[in-house]
Amino acid sequence: MKNYRLAWRNLWRNRRRTMITAASIFFAVFFALVMRSLQLGTYDNLFKNIIETYSGYIQVQNENFWEDKIVDNVIGYSDELAQKIKSDENVIECIPRFESFALASSGSRTKGVLVMGIDPVKESLLSDVENKLVKYELTGEAIARLDKENIPESIKKNFSLFEGKSYATDGRILLDLGVKDRDSEMVLPLLRKHASVENGYIKQGEPGALVGDRLAKYLGLSRGDTIVLLGQGYHGTTAAGKFEIKGIVSLPAPDIESRIIYLPVDVCQDLYDTRGMLTSLALQVDDNDDKAIAETIERLDGDLEEPYRVLGWREMNETVVQQMEADDSGGMIMIGILYLVIAFGVFGTVLMMTAERRREFGVTISIGMQKTRMAMVMVYEMFYVGFIGIVLGVAVAVPIIIYGYYHPFSMSGEIAKMMEDYGFEPVMAFLWIDSYFIWQSVVVAIIVILSVIYPVRKIMKLKEVDALKA
Amino acid sequence: MKVLELKDVHKIYDKTEVEVHAVNGVSIDFIEGEFAAIVGPSGSGKTTLLNMIGGLDKPSTGVIFVDGKNLTKFKSSEIIDFRMRNIGFVFQSYNLIPVLTAKENVEFIMNLQKWPKKDRDRRTMELLEAVGLGDRGNSRPAQLSGGQQQRVAVARALATKPKFILADEPTANLDSASTYNLLDIMEKLNKEENITFIFSTHDARVVKKARRVITLEDGKVVSDITH
Ligand SMILES: Nc1ncnc2c1ncn2[C@@H]1O[C@H](COP(=O)(O)OP(=O)(O)OP(=O)(O)O)[C@@H](O)[C@H]1O
Ligand SMILES: [Mg+2]
Repeated sequence: MKNYRLAWRNLWRNRRRTMITAASIFFAVFFALVMRSLQLGTYDNLFKNIIETYSGYIQVQNENFWEDKIVDNVIGYSDELAQKIKSDENVIECIPRFESFALASSGSRTKGVLVMGIDPVKESLLSDVENKLVKYELTGEAIARLDKENIPESIKKNFSLFEGKSYATDGRILLDLGVKDRDSEMVLPLLRKHASVENGYIKQGEPGALVGDRLAKYLGLSRGDTIVLLGQGYHGTTAAGKFEIKGIVSLPAPDIESRIIYLPVDVCQDLYDTRGMLTSLALQVDDNDDKAIAETIERLDGDLEEPYRVLGWREMNETVVQQMEADDSGGMIMIGILYLVIAFGVFGTVLMMTAERRREFGVTISIGMQKTRMAMVMVYEMFYVGFIGIVLGVAVAVPIIIYGYYHPFSMSGEIAKMMEDYGFEPVMAFLWIDSYFIWQSVVVAIIVILSVIYPVRKIMKLKEVDALKA
Repeated sequence: MKVLELKDVHKIYDKTEVEVHAVNGVSIDFIEGEFAAIVGPSGSGKTTLLNMIGGLDKPSTGVIFVDGKNLTKFKSSEIIDFRMRNIGFVFQSYNLIPVLTAKENVEFIMNLQKWPKKDRDRRTMELLEAVGLGDRGNSRPAQLSGGQQQRVAVARALATKPKFILADEPTANLDSASTYNLLDIMEKLNKEENITFIFSTHDARVVKKARRVITLEDGKVVSDITH
């Protein structure tokens, strides 16, 4: 009988214990994977939202702008510069940005805001503001009208949860309302009929502003109203202007949405008295994975001289990155505790297994089986238990993660508010199967390997005479 | 031919409160084909002596030769290998590996010795028949009676024709019918296969069957009679 077969038989001598041990490993792997996927997916979503609505993956700025965000620290825009940047293999387009601060007021309310001058056409390559114009708003009246329609109750009861919320896309409102794919064709026309909002867009050379939905609500503004901006212009001049609100935008990054105003970039330059100048060029890149971005930054850093500085998204969103990392270590500790509990469970099993088989080890070694071979049998046994647990855990987690990846779920109420306060879009997203799978399996493998040390040592040190007395 | 030779073997337990001289200067020989019983009161040193003969324990002083080789000189892994090739064991109870069938238990040492499957099968069948369990090859130990288990253990010990078989009170847990049955089988196989059996016992019925009776008292051989 081969070692692995003997081990397999031994595994089933105490069926229940083996099952419990394998099941505990299964649960650990399963929960760790799902938790990890959810956590990493949510971060991923957060960064994607921030990057895609605000910073982009890479920006070229004046070297002083990042530390001191005043309009004096600008760069002159030239085709030559754009050409040079675009010649990098990973850069597709340079998108001009003029970013500054101002006080915005309307009536009696005033708020510090982020003024973002954009090229209304080119920006579609990056943050695509035009497609973030509010399309639907669940106002009280809209809900009252919708309630009269023939809509499934399960959807109707969600209306009140999201009352007052604005949406830029069909997908997002359907997600919040929990509309299944098959119902969407029936629900969408009704939403268009009762809850849709008309918005315009901005144009180069024409004064006009787009305002973030939260900011607009805070200032009590709507389309067609006028907003007053007051800030500091180039070399200490006063920047002041009045702009008609052409549209309201809804962004998946709550923090940005509550303080952003978009202007056409040339209008913005006029406001700050910085004609022909920009604070940054945001780059549209081909490959956005971490490694490609880092390499691109390095190449551009080498190519561009003095007044320029190349920044990656991590640097530009340092606070969020740090916040995420802190949150991430919290999650890791949770999983660590989970694994610790499992490790003790596995060790307990091993301890019992070893103790109750002492005499059997004694007999088997007495009649001539080498201790190393006996130990190998134990190693196989633990390997099987670990393997069954890991494989089952992965097998059950994968479909759930794949499903969750394609069907993220939206949060409402307190949890949603909490997530928004942290700058998250209140959507739970799963991360696609990735290296975290390997890590969970490695950890379990380590637990199993560590737990097998004990019986192996016991066997190697076993004295036949003593073991036979057991 | 001498298969086993003990020269002035002592075993002293000195880690206990009072020093115990469990085996106290034993010098005996065994020749091929013997059927010998070691008897004596409880605590007289029978188990200690058998353990040393089987290489499971080392004498404090003295030497033991098996087939001319000095057992006391082996390293731990070498002695396990030596036991596997030369010595058969039958213990008082729970001899068998519980997850293996009777057939697999009998095969176990042949497997360790890497016998080809054909030879293993033939020998296993032959032995199971010989111990009267030809039809129980696929039973697990838990499905066999104590006496049947001991018979399987005897078959296993014999399988690879070792130099000798050691059995420490093999009948201690058996009723009298099973005891006679097991002894008859041991005796028969001893004759057929010409393999030396050395067993310890308390049981007068067992002693009567032995052709040589060695009596121990306080770790010393007080009589050694061959009928
Ligand atoms: N590990 C040990 N440590 C100390 N003393 C021991 C140890 N093993 C045995 N002894 C002592 O050695 C002596 C002989 O014991 P042994 O087990 O060989 O006797 P035995 O003849 O087999 O007895 P029984 O018929 O009861 O099985 C006894 O006095 C016993 O207490
Ligand atoms: Mg004894």
